Amino acid sequence: MPPVAVKPCESTLRLPFETPRLAEIAYRVLSVDKEPRRNFVQKTLNLERDVLVVHFCADQVKNLRTAISSFFEALLLCQDTIKQFGDPTSAEPEAPQQDNAGAQSGSDSA
Amino acid sequence: MVCSLGIEGSANKIGVGIIRDGEVLANVRRTYITPPGEGFLPNATAKHHREVILALVQESLKEAKIKPSDLDVICYTKGPGMAPPLLVGAIVARTLSLLWEKPLLGVNHCIGHIEMGRHITGAQNPIILYVSGGNTQVIAYSNKKYRIFGETIDIAVGNCLDRFARILKLPNDPSPGYNIEQMAKEGTNYINLPYVVKGMDVSFSGILSHIEALADPTKNPNKRKKTLEADASVAKPADLCFSLQETIFAMLVEITERAMAHCGSNEVLIVGGVGCNERLQKMMGIMCEERGGKLFAIDERYCIDNGLMIAHAGAEMFKSGSRMPFEESFVTQRYRTDEVLVTWRDD
Repeated sequence: MPPVAVKPCESTLRLPFETPRLAEIAYRVLSVDKEPRRNFVQKTLNLERDVLVVHFCADQVKNLRTAISSFFEALLLCQDTIKQFGDPTSAEPEAPQQDNAGAQSGSDSA
Repeated sequence: MVCSLGIEGSANKIGVGIIRDGEVLANVRRTYITPPGEGFLPNATAKHHREVILALVQESLKEAKIKPSDLDVICYTKGPGMAPPLLVGAIVARTLSLLWEKPLLGVNHCIGHIEMGRHITGAQNPIILYVSGGNTQVIAYSNKKYRIFGETIDIAVGNCLDRFARILKLPNDPSPGYNIEQMAKEGTNYINLPYVVKGMDVSFSGILSHIEALADPTKNPNKRKKTLEADASVAKPADLCFSLQETIFAMLVEITERAMAHCGSNEVLIVGGVGCNERLQKMMGIMCEERGGKLFAIDERYCIDNGLMIAHAGAEMFKSGSRMPFEESFVTQRYRTDEVLVTWRDD
């Protein structure tokens, strides 16, 4: 069996958003959760206008990958929420359409 | 007037509820159902929740016929529970809070159950039996805290039922506990099982091992239990379900009755997923009647984990002035009922 390489490693993700506001929302939502203490990964988030910059430092490649993949799960959920519920100002014009569809399915379930 | 949206996702149920001044506007839920014989694992459960949560939020807003701007506060389950599913609810709640510019509140799951039960039944100051797949506690309110009088020292009562259902390969749809309850109705022979009450606490893991050995003696590696095999050949699954329910519910009724005597209370409220078991409600009802007390129980819409209870408990917290800095909107797997300061009760 080849020896498993355990070496410190790091990675930086640069994630652009449509607007600085959306980048800030993602930054604040994703900054809350700390990395689990036992996976030996340090994650730092920074905001550069409309770009979210995430830096990972890990003790080994395996842990780095785990941390990045769980970060992406959270990021995708946050992005999908933004996509579906938008910001209130841009969501208002679409509201009447959605209300119609809602009334239909509402009466179905009633 | 407080209009509150709550997101619950601490176990295999994901739910969204909306409540306005105590009036239920919406309460929608999906359950992650695994094949018979299998439990739900944290990451697979989180994946299920991620796939349905946004549709549930949309559905709840439609059902409630409100716009996001009508909301005053967004609530989510902070804990206790499994971390990956909890995180799904928390991330969506955080994002909505920032998108819609509404305050965010983290709610203790157990407090959600208690407050929902009190709200629906109108019970004023009951002894609370909180029984679910993850928790088993007897609770009484005193001096701004919900105090834990007795609890399980190992697994929860619902966990014991779920795991026994897995041994019998009963379906997890709608829930393993429901299928045990139905099967128990056909049971007639009571099989003796260990009865484990320790002071005000209860224990279920030994009972589970014992009944597992009765249900399937071939799988038991423990040679000392060989004597059980004689019984096992005659033990029908229906009798085992019946005997398991009778034994563990009797234990719960015993500690609840003792808590009533301690506190001089004559009200009992049952909350949590196991609380919709009609046999448990009946046994508790008999005990209450004999003491001249009153039993409050609720149906599966409010008993089983739901978003509404988080919305309601959050609304009570919000009304009494509770606020949470956004940076503190994390989740925590361990979060005891008696850690929460009950700011919304004056008694």
